[in-house]
Amino acid sequence: MASYVLGEFADDAAICAAARSLREAGVAALDAHSPVPIHGIDEALALPRSPVPLIALVGVLLGGSGGYLMMWWMNAVDYVIDVGGRPAHAAPAFVPITFETTVLTAAVFIVGGLFALAGFPRLHHPVFEVEAFRTASVDGLWLSAEVEPGRAEAVAGELRRLGARQVSRVDEEEEP
Amino acid sequence: MSEPRVEGGRGLVARAALVAAAGLGLTAVGAALDLRRALAAYHTAFTFWAGTAVGALILLGAFHATKARWMVLVRRVVEVVATTSLVFVPLFLPVALGARRIFPWLEPDRLPGELRRLAEHRAPYLNLPFFLLRAALYLVAWAVVSHLLWRWSVRQDRERGVALTARQRRLGIGSLPLLAVTITFAAIDWQESLDLHHASTIFGVYYFAGSFLAAISVVILALYALRREPALAGLTADHWHSLGKLLLAFTAFWAYIAFSQYMLIWIANLPAEVPFFIHRTRGAWGVVGVLLVLFHFAVPFFLLLSRDLKRDPRKLAALAAWQLAMHWLDVYYTMMPAAYPSPAPHWTDLTALLGVGAAALAFAAWRLRQGAAVPVGDPYLEDSLRYQPQ
Repeated sequence: MASYVLGEFADDAAICAAARSLREAGVAALDAHSPVPIHGIDEALALPRSPVPLIALVGVLLGGSGGYLMMWWMNAVDYVIDVGGRPAHAAPAFVPITFETTVLTAAVFIVGGLFALAGFPRLHHPVFEVEAFRTASVDGLWLSAEVEPGRAEAVAGELRRLGARQVSRVDEEEEP
Repeated sequence: MSEPRVEGGRGLVARAALVAAAGLGLTAVGAALDLRRALAAYHTAFTFWAGTAVGALILLGAFHATKARWMVLVRRVVEVVATTSLVFVPLFLPVALGARRIFPWLEPDRLPGELRRLAEHRAPYLNLPFFLLRAALYLVAWAVVSHLLWRWSVRQDRERGVALTARQRRLGIGSLPLLAVTITFAAIDWQESLDLHHASTIFGVYYFAGSFLAAISVVILALYALRREPALAGLTADHWHSLGKLLLAFTAFWAYIAFSQYMLIWIANLPAEVPFFIHRTRGAWGVVGVLLVLFHFAVPFFLLLSRDLKRDPRKLAALAAWQLAMHWLDVYYTMMPAAYPSPAPHWTDLTALLGVGAAALAFAAWRLRQGAAVPVGDPYLEDSLRYQPQ
């Protein structure tokens, strides 16, 4: 069971400063929610570098080698056809398809990896209980902190002190 | 805001002019010893550097066409590189005077039967007066457009206001079709016509792709040389990152075009086209071709994928220098095998390359001192200084 403390901020600088300040105060599980990119929030939240490029690399290697090997097997092993004396294993002719399968697989891995990392499909989250949080998809910049219930009031006070326009608290209910 | 001028490198104009005089002088000596070989070397060096200047001009036009604001801080450098187009007007003279010894179609009697028929068939286009007229058109168009864009930009340093930005944008955008057509025909005239078996409809784009990559490289190198200038103190890792992305994009674009040209000719396998690649994929020239695939594309491409490398000016500049050198090898590999079926490096290759390049450098360094080091009068400079992409 955890509590979520939410604070809405007016601008980039305020939310970044608040994130930095809370992080230094030892609140580890911070997240930001906003309808637009926030300049500097990555550093303020000390987010690690995204693993999406590595996931994409795996897709590239699989798609590239898979596409090439597929054509090699079909054209040079399984069903060899002589086309105007060209070699059955004709590397230049294989390149466009290899490129396409590489891009396709990489794109699928990127989208899939992003969904997996973002926790999709997740239909509900305790912070959705807060009606005001809906502005996170309109014009509000929200900072959320996941804390132990005993610490929630202290963090809420800290958020107010840091200039949050409004602060809410949600307590996760016990699983029935 | 006062006009921040370039402060360092005061002797550069004189030093570069000296290297230019020495390089061109030595090439002239080489011409006295072996006229054909020295002219081939000079023509190759000319085509390499002129393409780089036009590439910078197209880069400038593209910046204006996209109304890009992040690049205003670095735009003066691009303008100055583009404006070296003017130097290539007089530098074309040796090519014009020595054309008979450079282009095989001007001496059809020396050609074997089949090639002579090709040369005679193409004579309505490939003849000396029309060739010179076209060259004059390209060179004057590049010189005029680059000079106007630079002059209006420098005028804006004093006059301020958005009117001159609007005027530069109009010319920058409006000149792009003209630049596209002229660089395409320049590629056909200066490179493709060297080899009468070279029939590639994509070749204009190929020359553009390499030249554009070289222009981006030169801009990165120039900015690296100027990075400690107080006027460019606002240059951040984000600017380097974006320049690095351009370098990456056009490394991939060059490879895409090079492969398209190769694959279409390889797969069609027509007697009229395929000799071009037979000469360039066998023997020692074939080794050069493989080197280009590996070191003009594969290695730089994978290195440039690194975000950290693109944000490190020193590493990015090293890679830019590498790609510029590889582009030279590409131009050499495209042009030389026509007359020299096996590679015959000659010392005039080097003297011509340094001579023409240093002449352009001297001119650029002189131009750079005639205005502020950054377009201080452009209202979008503030946006460029705040540039922070996500």
